[in-house]
Amino acid sequence: MSVGAPGLLAQEDRYERDFTAGVARSPWQLFSRRLREDRVAMAALATIVLLILVAVLAPLVVKLAGAPGPNVQDRDATDMFGTPLGPNGDHWFGVDPLGRDVFSRTVYGARVSLLVGIVGTGVAVLVGVTVGLIAGYYRGWVDTLLSRFVDVVLSFPVLLLGIGIASACSLGKGCVGGAITPGVRTVILVIALVTWTSIARVVRGQVLSLREREFVVAARALGASNRRVVVREILPNLTAPIIVYSSLLLPQTILLEAALSFLGVGVSPPTASWGWMIADASDNFDTQWWYMVFPGAALLLTVLACNLLGDGLRDALDPRAER
Amino acid sequence: MPRLVKRALPLLLLILATGLAACGSSSDNGGSSSATADDGAGGHRGGTLTVLTSQDITSLDPGITYQSLDLNVLASTMRTLYTYEPTAPATLVPDLAAGPPQISDGGKTLTVRIRRGVRFAPPVSREVTARDVKYAIERGFNPNVANAYASTYYGDVVGADRASGGAIAGIQTPDDFTLVFRLTRPTASLLAQSTVLPLSAPVPQEYAKPFDAKAPSQYAAHVVSTGPYMVAADSDGKVLGEGYVPGRSLRLVRNPNWSAAGDHRPAYLDGIDFEIGGSGTVYGRQTLAGRGLVLADPPTPALVKKAYQEARDQIFFSPGAGTRYAALNTAIPPFDDANVRKAVAAALDREQMRRVRGGEVIGDIASHFLYPGVQGFEKAGGLEGTGVDFLAHPEGDTALAARYMRAAGYPSGRYTGGETLQIVGLAGAPDSNDAQIFDQTLQDLGFKTSLKLVDSGVMYGRFCGVPRARVHACPNVGWIRDFADPQTVLNLAFNGNFIFPENNPNWPQLNDAAINRAMARGELTVGDAARASAWAEIDRMITATAAAVPWLYDRQPNVFAADVRCVPELWNQGHCDFAYTSLKP
Repeated sequence: MSVGAPGLLAQEDRYERDFTAGVARSPWQLFSRRLREDRVAMAALATIVLLILVAVLAPLVVKLAGAPGPNVQDRDATDMFGTPLGPNGDHWFGVDPLGRDVFSRTVYGARVSLLVGIVGTGVAVLVGVTVGLIAGYYRGWVDTLLSRFVDVVLSFPVLLLGIGIASACSLGKGCVGGAITPGVRTVILVIALVTWTSIARVVRGQVLSLREREFVVAARALGASNRRVVVREILPNLTAPIIVYSSLLLPQTILLEAALSFLGVGVSPPTASWGWMIADASDNFDTQWWYMVFPGAALLLTVLACNLLGDGLRDALDPRAER
Repeated sequence: MPRLVKRALPLLLLILATGLAACGSSSDNGGSSSATADDGAGGHRGGTLTVLTSQDITSLDPGITYQSLDLNVLASTMRTLYTYEPTAPATLVPDLAAGPPQISDGGKTLTVRIRRGVRFAPPVSREVTARDVKYAIERGFNPNVANAYASTYYGDVVGADRASGGAIAGIQTPDDFTLVFRLTRPTASLLAQSTVLPLSAPVPQEYAKPFDAKAPSQYAAHVVSTGPYMVAADSDGKVLGEGYVPGRSLRLVRNPNWSAAGDHRPAYLDGIDFEIGGSGTVYGRQTLAGRGLVLADPPTPALVKKAYQEARDQIFFSPGAGTRYAALNTAIPPFDDANVRKAVAAALDREQMRRVRGGEVIGDIASHFLYPGVQGFEKAGGLEGTGVDFLAHPEGDTALAARYMRAAGYPSGRYTGGETLQIVGLAGAPDSNDAQIFDQTLQDLGFKTSLKLVDSGVMYGRFCGVPRARVHACPNVGWIRDFADPQTVLNLAFNGNFIFPENNPNWPQLNDAAINRAMARGELTVGDAARASAWAEIDRMITATAAAVPWLYDRQPNVFAADVRCVPELWNQGHCDFAYTSLKP
C-alpha cells in the first residue's frame, strides 16, 4: 500500500463539506458512508452475501429448485453412449457424465469454495498478522530471522509447493504421522501456508512506522507491557490494512482451491467442487459445454465479487491510497 | 508357476490400467458380437502412416517392453519365435521359427527350428541364429533389463531360477538353427505359446552386450530390428535422438535387410511416423477428419459416439480386450465376509458402469473373469454368467443386496459398522466416473467411504498391490491375457500363492485352498479342450466367492482416418498392425 500521495480532490471536498457542516464523524461512520456510496462495492457485497446464503442453505436451495441432490446419479439422464443431457426442464444446468445434476453440484460447490476461501484466508491472516507484528515490533534479529523466512517462503513456486504438499498429504492416512489428513483440511493448510507471507510483510511495514509514533511512545513511557502495546495500541491501528488485504486474499484462495482441485489434489470426489467440475468437464467441452460453463461462471462471479468488494473496502478505509 | 513372479508385475499393472492391457483375442469359442476385421489382403503399396498418441511408448527394447502400444510397434519391427497373425489371435504361427514347436520328453523338452536367411537390420546386418534368441531370453533375467514376465513364463527352464543375465543351462543351441529348452516341469506347451511375447525376438549378443552392461540397459537406444520395419537410426545404429525422440516422435522406416520371402507380413507401407505427446481429445478429432492418420489412444466416449454415428467405418471395436472388475479385500473386514461381498456385487449397477464409458458398443457386461475369446469363456457360462444370483441383474438388485446384508448380520439390510472404507480408483474420466459409481453404491449400502483417485502407477504400486496399505476396495482393476491361454487370465490374479507384500497381483487377496489346488492341477493340464474345462471350472469357483465383482468385458475402440485400411491386431487391443495396414489409393 503506498501512502503519501495528495488526496483526490473529490474526497478532499467531502471532508471539507463535513467540516463546514460542523458534523463530527467517527472513522467507522466515515468508512460505512463511503462504502455505501460505492455502488459497485455494494453490489459485490450483496452478491457475496447471496453466495454465502446459497452455500449455507444449499440443501434448501436445491430442494426449492426441485433438483435432485448433488450425488444422485440419474441413469436416465444420459443417452446410450453415456453422453449427458444438456440443460432441460428436469435439470436446469444439465447433468454431468454420471447423471448428477450440475445445478445442484454448482450450488453445493459454493460450500467448498467459500469454506476453503474464508477459513484459508482466516488462517493465513492470523499467521501473517502475528508474524508481521512480532517482526515489526521487536526488530533486530527477530525481524531479520522472520523476514528472511518470509523471503524463503515467498520464493517457493506457490502452485508447485501446493501440489507437492497436497499430493503428499491427500493419500492414505495423510502425512506428518496422520496429523494432516486428506480432504478439505489439507487444502486449507496448503492455502494458508502459501498465502500468509504477503500480509505478514504489509503488517510488518506498518508496525515499523507505528511503533515510533507518539501514542506508542507514550504508552511505553506509562509502563505498558510489550504485549499491551502490541495488542491495545498497535493492532487496532492495523484494522484497515488487515481488512483490505484479507478481502483481496479471499479471491486468491478461492482460485487456489479451484486450481488444486482442477489438478486433482484438492477435495476428493464425490464432494462437489468447482475446480474439480471444470477439470472433469475439460475433456468434453466441445460437446458438453454446460458442465464447464456453470461452475466456471459461479467461480468467476465469486472471485469478481470478492475483488470488487476488496477494492471498495480499500477506497472506503483509506481514501488517500493510490489505486 | 514361478516364484519370482514378484518381479513380473509393475509393468503389467501399468498396462492394465492405461486402457487395460497387453493382448486380446477372439477365437471361435468367444461369444462377442464384434464387427468383422479386415485382414488387409491385396492392400495398396506405398505411403506413410501417421500415428497420433498422447502417451509415449515405454521402451523399444524387446526384452523390456510389455505395454500395448509398444507391442504394436514391435509387431512390425521384431520377429519372435511364434506369433499371431492380426486377425487370428488364437492361432500360433511360426515367425522366426521354421515350423511348429516340437514337444517331447512328456512335455519337459521344447525344440524349435529357426528359419534360415533372416537378417538383422543395419548396422549388424548378419544372419540370425539360435544363439541370438538364447541371448535375448537370457538377458531378460539380467537385472539391467529386468524383463517383467521372464520368470513367469521361462521360470520352468532348467537353471532359470538362478539366472541373472548369464547363460541358462536349460536353453541349448545344438546347431546354428536349433533351439532346445529343457524344463523342470511338463509345461512346454505353455512355454511355446509364451514366445509370442517380444522376449523371444533375437538380440545380437556381440552388439548388445556393452549396452546391457549398463544399468539400466541402453540397448533400447540402439535397438536392432528383424522385421520389415526398423526405427530410423544413424550409421552406428543409434536410434535415440534419430528415429526416436522421447515424448515427441518415433519414425519407422523400411528395414533394407528384410526379405518378403519367408515372412507372412505384407508390409505395404513405406514408413510409419508417430506424433507423441499432444492432447488425446485433439488427436481424436484430427484422426476422424484427417488423412493417413491412426489414433493410438483409447478414444473418449464423445469421440466413440461421433465416430459410431457419423463414420462407422472409421472405428473398430476390438473384442476380447480384457475383463474389468472391482476387487474387494477379502483379508480384512468388512469384505472378509462373503455375504457382505455378495451384497456389494448384487447392488452394483454394472449397466451404468458401462454406460459412462460409452455404452453397449464398448463391451459386454461381465459376469465372470474369463472373457470372450479366451478359451474356457463359454464353458464357464459365456455371457449368461455362471448362474450366481448376485450377478444376475446387471442394473443392480437392491432387494437382493439387502438380503445378503441381513445374512451377514445386519438386520436393517444396511451396513452399520463405524469404520471408513478406503476406496482407491483411477483418476481421469471415464475411470474416475466408474470409481464414483462404485463408491456411491457402497454409501447407499450404509458404508462410510473415502475415495481416492490416483494415476495407475500409484493405484497399483502404493495401494491395490500393497496388502499393508489395507485398501478395502479397488473398483478400477482389470486383467488381460498375455497370450491365448486361460491360465494367463486367472492364475496370477486369484492364486493365493501369489500374495506378495509389494506388487501383489492378487488384489482381492483371495486365498482359497480349493481354488489354489485346482490351479496347481490346471497348470499341468495338457490340451486346449482339457485346459479350457479346467480353467472354466476355476473361473466359476472364483466367481462364486465374490472376491471381485466383474463388470465389463472390454471391446476396445480404435479410430483411424477414412483413407486408412486398418488391419486390427485382435491379439492386442485392436491397434492397426503396421505390417498389414495400407493406405487406400
